[in-house]
Amino acid sequence: MWTTVLVSGITLGSFYTLVALGFALIFGVTHTFNLAHGELLVLAGYVAYWLWKTYGVSLLFTFPAAILATLVVCLILQRLFSRLREPMEMNSIVLSFGLAILLQNGMLFFFSGDYRLIRVPTFNQGLHFNTLYLSYGQLTLLALSLLVIGLLYFLMRHTFLGKALRATIQDREAASLAGINVGGMGVLAFAIGAILIGLAGPLYGCVHYLYPTAGLQATLLAITITIFAGVGRIRTLILGGWILGFAESGAVVLLGASWRELVGAVMLITLLALRPQGIFEREQ
Amino acid sequence: MLCCKRFPIIACLLLLAFWCYSTFAVAATIKIGEINPLTGRLAKQGSEIHQGVAVAVAEVNDRGGLNGRQVELISRDDQSQPDVAISRAEELCGWKKVVALTGGYNDSLVGPISEVAKKYEVPYVASASLQKQLTQRENPYFFRVANLHGFVQPLCGILSESLRPQRLALLHTATPGSTEFARDLRSCLQSRGIAVMLMEKFRPGTPDFTPLIAKLASMNMDVIVSSGFFADHLLLVRQLKENRVSPKAYIGPFGIAYESFVREMGENAEYLYSTFAWNPGISNPGTEVASKDFVERFRSMFHREPNTTNMHGYTSTRAVLAAMQNVLHQKKPLTGPNIRQSLAELDLVLPMERVAFDKHGDPHHYQHLVVQIQKGKFEVVYPPERSTASAIYPMPRWSQRK
Repeated sequence: MWTTVLVSGITLGSFYTLVALGFALIFGVTHTFNLAHGELLVLAGYVAYWLWKTYGVSLLFTFPAAILATLVVCLILQRLFSRLREPMEMNSIVLSFGLAILLQNGMLFFFSGDYRLIRVPTFNQGLHFNTLYLSYGQLTLLALSLLVIGLLYFLMRHTFLGKALRATIQDREAASLAGINVGGMGVLAFAIGAILIGLAGPLYGCVHYLYPTAGLQATLLAITITIFAGVGRIRTLILGGWILGFAESGAVVLLGASWRELVGAVMLITLLALRPQGIFEREQ
Repeated sequence: MLCCKRFPIIACLLLLAFWCYSTFAVAATIKIGEINPLTGRLAKQGSEIHQGVAVAVAEVNDRGGLNGRQVELISRDDQSQPDVAISRAEELCGWKKVVALTGGYNDSLVGPISEVAKKYEVPYVASASLQKQLTQRENPYFFRVANLHGFVQPLCGILSESLRPQRLALLHTATPGSTEFARDLRSCLQSRGIAVMLMEKFRPGTPDFTPLIAKLASMNMDVIVSSGFFADHLLLVRQLKENRVSPKAYIGPFGIAYESFVREMGENAEYLYSTFAWNPGISNPGTEVASKDFVERFRSMFHREPNTTNMHGYTSTRAVLAAMQNVLHQKKPLTGPNIRQSLAELDLVLPMERVAFDKHGDPHHYQHLVVQIQKGKFEVVYPPERSTASAIYPMPRWSQRK
């Protein structure tokens, strides 16, 4: 049972990280607190659902369309957010809250309030490793999440663009003085964020389900993991995701299903009280 | 020129005529209010209740209204939020002066509306409410067409008489109705010698059931009863299959017996058990014609098949309209106390149930049927006198299916 719980925790945690990455990157670079993050994720899921249901497009080929849709919306959002004045965090909360409601009602209008599910039959099959059973759904989730996180890590650590992004996350003014186009980095962060959301959305429609207000949960998740790992700490997000995923899964087995959210909340409050800079962040 | 001089007079006369027409036309209508979650997390269910309400009002208006007066339905959206529900109820009862209220989904929204209705002495017949506490508050203006008893009795019956599981798990969501349901079902089962080996509470919308499934598998549960909602079943059943956990029966009293559930789940919905109070083709005996009429009218208005939630909205509104009709027949004014009295004395046979309320406002005859999905259709498997097919028990293991 515990191996199942461990695998479940890691799979779920990896997916949590994929959901949170776009939010963390955009927040780190632009200081935009995007409360519509979850709605964008659900929108990407709906685009994939629509293609799958209407035209029979396989899940794999829905990703480009979902990415394109979120890219367009995210770049529009970036233009809107770039017009905001300081305090950026507070103003972006107000704007993105309104945008979240707008997106929710738009999705309610176009897709109705019905729960939607992208069915991938192969996700229900799987592999046995002694007592452990891993479904292809879990494997896909794990592999794709790790691949994307790995690619992003490589981009951030080993490319000039990534170094410029990291510099902007660490200190916008210093980055600007060093000749980095901070505004351009903002556009880039939104674009990368859109790609990450566009990848996570269709998966969300497969492993969870879609409905217009489902985004709130994803937004809260992204905020929690970002706080957990420390703002701008892309590398440690995955550890944060795994710890949260495993803690939630362990709580269900040890304490009962009703303790799941409480354990996550207690961890977050404890962290905010003891290490507000993030669990792996060094105190400055 | 002459025409130009007379233009102001003609315009005034036209305006006066329009004002008189609209005033008398409005005065001739009877206003009833309806509050439902049309947006937010309960938008799906709220919209379905609203559609049922709309069918009932259209039906009575097409028949000439109540004593020749058309019924005007004023719909409001509570956005799935209790505070908004209160303000909408205040608006309808205090400002719009509706004579009765209907609709409503979920106790967290119905409860606050019922308190406002009591304050204004406006009778409220809720469409979907289960929590026992709501009818124990001594609110003479609150009635409902559903209650927990209607779910618990048939499930307790099939579990104790037919399935008789050795190891039963009872999962429920952290909502008042679902929790009360689980407690009542456990009491009923225990009184009939069936032990509940595991009782677990989870939050509606839980993102992953795998750890809970691992726990169920380790305890080798043979029957799972989950009083989660539509979305919870979507995830839980799919993850049961992913993890190759095959109980002998999976029973979800809320949220499974819907065409949309079968559509979304596809073949994974096969053999699942659920309950409904009504479905197209399966209605209260003796009401087949009325049921067919409802289905046809619903199809013509909304271009799809109605479901049991739609019927709850229809039934509660029909109860309100029938009570008002009785008041008018007795040549009494349509006041809150008169309609309340009429509701208390109501005895009306409708496709979903025979509507009659006890002294607390709970329905006397609300009873669900236990159904199993077989070849994509809902087959009634309990009670025996209304069954349309035999229950397939144990359901085939996931590995034995195509």
